Amino acid sequence: MKRRTEDAATEPASPLERRLVFLAGKGGVGKSTVATALALVAVRRRKRVLLLGLDSDDRGRDVAGLRPAPGAEPVEVLPGLFRQNVEGRAALEEYLRLVVPVRRVLQAVFDSRVYQYFVAAAPGLKELMAIGKIWYEVDRGRWDLVIVDSPATGHALQYLRMPKAAYETFTTGLVHREAKRVWDLLRDPASTAVSVVTVAEELPVNETVAICREIREQLALPPGCLFVNRVHAPDLSAAELGPAAARPRGGRPADEALCRAALAAAEEEIAWGALNESYGRRLAAETGWRLVKLPFLFREEFGFGDVEALSRLIEPVVAPAAKPRPGREEPQR
Amino acid sequence: MTSTLRGVVERHDVIVCAGSGGVGKTTTAAAIALWGAQRGRRAAVLTIDPARRLADSLGLPLAGGSEVVVPAALLRENGIVLRGSLSAMMLDQKGAWDSLVERHAPSAEVRDRILRNRFYQHLSQSFAGSQEYMAIEELARLRDSGRYDLIVVDTPPSRHALEFLEAPQRIADFLDRRIVRWFVKPYVAAGWSALRLLNRTAGFVLRALEEAAGVGVLAEISDFFAGMQGLFDGMNERMERVYRVLKSQKTAFVLVSSPEEEVLEEAEYLSDEMRALGMPLRAVVFNRVHEEFTEPVDDDDVPRGAIGGGEWRRVQAALERAGIAPADLARRLARNFAAYQDVARGDGLRLEMFSRGLPRQVPIARVPNFAGDLHQLSALARMHPYLFGGA
Ligand SMILES: Nc1ncnc2c1ncn2[C@@H]1O[C@H](COP(=O)(O)OP(=O)(O)OP(=O)(O)O)[C@@H](O)[C@H]1O
Ligand SMILES: Nc1ncnc2c1ncn2[C@@H]1O[C@H](COP(=O)(O)OP(=O)(O)OP(=O)(O)O)[C@@H](O)[C@H]1O
Ligand SMILES: [Mg+2]
Ligand SMILES: [Mg+2]
Repeated sequence: MKRRTEDAATEPASPLERRLVFLAGKGGVGKSTVATALALVAVRRRKRVLLLGLDSDDRGRDVAGLRPAPGAEPVEVLPGLFRQNVEGRAALEEYLRLVVPVRRVLQAVFDSRVYQYFVAAAPGLKELMAIGKIWYEVDRGRWDLVIVDSPATGHALQYLRMPKAAYETFTTGLVHREAKRVWDLLRDPASTAVSVVTVAEELPVNETVAICREIREQLALPPGCLFVNRVHAPDLSAAELGPAAARPRGGRPADEALCRAALAAAEEEIAWGALNESYGRRLAAETGWRLVKLPFLFREEFGFGDVEALSRLIEPVVAPAAKPRPGREEPQR
Repeated sequence: MTSTLRGVVERHDVIVCAGSGGVGKTTTAAAIALWGAQRGRRAAVLTIDPARRLADSLGLPLAGGSEVVVPAALLRENGIVLRGSLSAMMLDQKGAWDSLVERHAPSAEVRDRILRNRFYQHLSQSFAGSQEYMAIEELARLRDSGRYDLIVVDTPPSRHALEFLEAPQRIADFLDRRIVRWFVKPYVAAGWSALRLLNRTAGFVLRALEEAAGVGVLAEISDFFAGMQGLFDGMNERMERVYRVLKSQKTAFVLVSSPEEEVLEEAEYLSDEMRALGMPLRAVVFNRVHEEFTEPVDDDDVPRGAIGGGEWRRVQAALERAGIAPADLARRLARNFAAYQDVARGDGLRLEMFSRGLPRQVPIARVPNFAGDLHQLSALARMHPYLFGGA
């Protein structure tokens, strides 16, 4: 069943008009890249943005060179752009500091074996605390926009599932109340958009279709965009390549290897283009989400300038100028 | 003598492919097992969540379950001849904890009690480490069966390879009887309040928990742990057995990595830690590498070496001279080629940096980024020359 995203009623508003944008997706597809690019678009629109990394330890490389600072407080890495890492255990301790004001008692708690064990073992506790921390950052009104970049493992759904699970498991008490507040924020389409990042290849596409379905159906969370990253869009076609490859070669013998390599690279690029194209179509058909495509950038080293370039490319789609409704963005090379 | 991945696979009975998400662990594991089977080994691949079509081409049933022999018809269709044999087994990703409970429950009653527990049902999806533990336990089982002399283990995505190795210990900690008792005892004995009197800190924690969770839920949590406790009798022996397999001289760890990986920056850290755990890194597969073109040497006056990003005009000229393409097409071909060379140069540099951090005897295999499908048996075989060298 194909949903019509063009429908005015279901057309998601620009993700940047929400207060919370959550980016889910499989490892390595470009979640941090897209998160940073979105943040840059928002900052250019004079928004005050908090980019939150979920459970990313400090060892992880930072795609834009904006290395997040360890520690509890957000750090301003560019004017208007703040970064922070959220880690479940630290979030729990921060929370306990708020509810248990006596330092000595608190220290005893942190040192106790029961507590250590409970934190390490209690299923879902860390996820719940991390998402509670996100709620807190959105709620405290310091930011126009909070963007959450999820970690490499487990595609982040475990975080989104947690408030609902906790809310249903604990039918009374503090956890119930807190989980409900978080859950209410997450499912409010005026505040939140859950976007997904993927690449247009078989395995990621299969996973993405399942992720999108779970977000929309099981979790009933407001969907944002589906970012398709690393799209190859060749300006070469098989039709013109065939005759070229078949043509008898003249020129210097030294050119032969070079010419062969250039033709092979063209074939490779055409094959990737076709592959991305067909999986892109499958994504559109099977999710019904609005696709935002980002081109594959050929770089010796991918860096901040490239993220910035991508942010300019997606800007017309994710933050349309007031009037004309956006069409689908096609990638440029 | 320099070591190769080929030698590593030949000398070991168990190959564990670890690495972070999406780098090609599942594909590589299948390719290694296939190669072993072609060369006369009785091979099995223990795979996790393969692409549907890879599962199809291994003849795996839809749901996880037991080992299947890869059907002869599938092999024939792909023109593959085995001197040995190839089996495959898929671990169910979602139901890992359910299977653990089913396998180890002392009685049907305990099993149902856990599976029905509300706390368990809601939260079992987020118990950490269960998949890793299941993989290792299956490995021990397959190994003990004596039916295979090459078992290749695929692993779930982890932030780094260490996570997989630490998983059994995490599960063991989770089920540590001495601590689980804290959660069980109060209900069995005199209730939470008795414990409060015993230990002020524990009392505080428990009171806070009680207030946070509501008393009914605590009873359920306690019940859950009580069930689990019975479930994991014999855990210690199983853990020992599992670690024996992992630390065996016949087990080799292979890191699969992409050329873009953060892990590249921590090669040294990783191999040190693994050695400290008694499970040294034996080989690295560098997957989806773009290879750099180097011009053959001749005595022409053309500058040689790699093609830099700015040199596409020279490539265009060569294409035009050779009469392959008119100017417009030649220009696009040349620019595309130069773009691929940029990526290749970056991959080359990162690989170079990475290998500097590795102990000298750890071999690295480079597998190119194939444009297209790797989900068929015949396509897996395309990886072989790169993994194991020619022939
Ligand atoms: N559009 C692109 N073109 C070329 N390379 C890209 C593109 N997007 C991302 N990359 C490359 O892919 C790498 C991984 O991207 P990124 O770190 O954003 O992924 P991620 O999904 O956040 O990964 P993880 O799951 O490990 O956190 C980047 O370092 C960069 O080299
Ligand atoms: N050398 C290669 N060239 C081209 N594509 C490849 C190559 N190796 C793997 N792939 C493709 O990359 C995708 C991911 O591969 P694979 O499933 O093996 O990764 P994985 O590390 O097991 O992922 P996960 O961490 O999600 O389990 C698959 O679609 C696979 O076909
Ligand atoms: Mg990331
Ligand atoms: Mg896999």
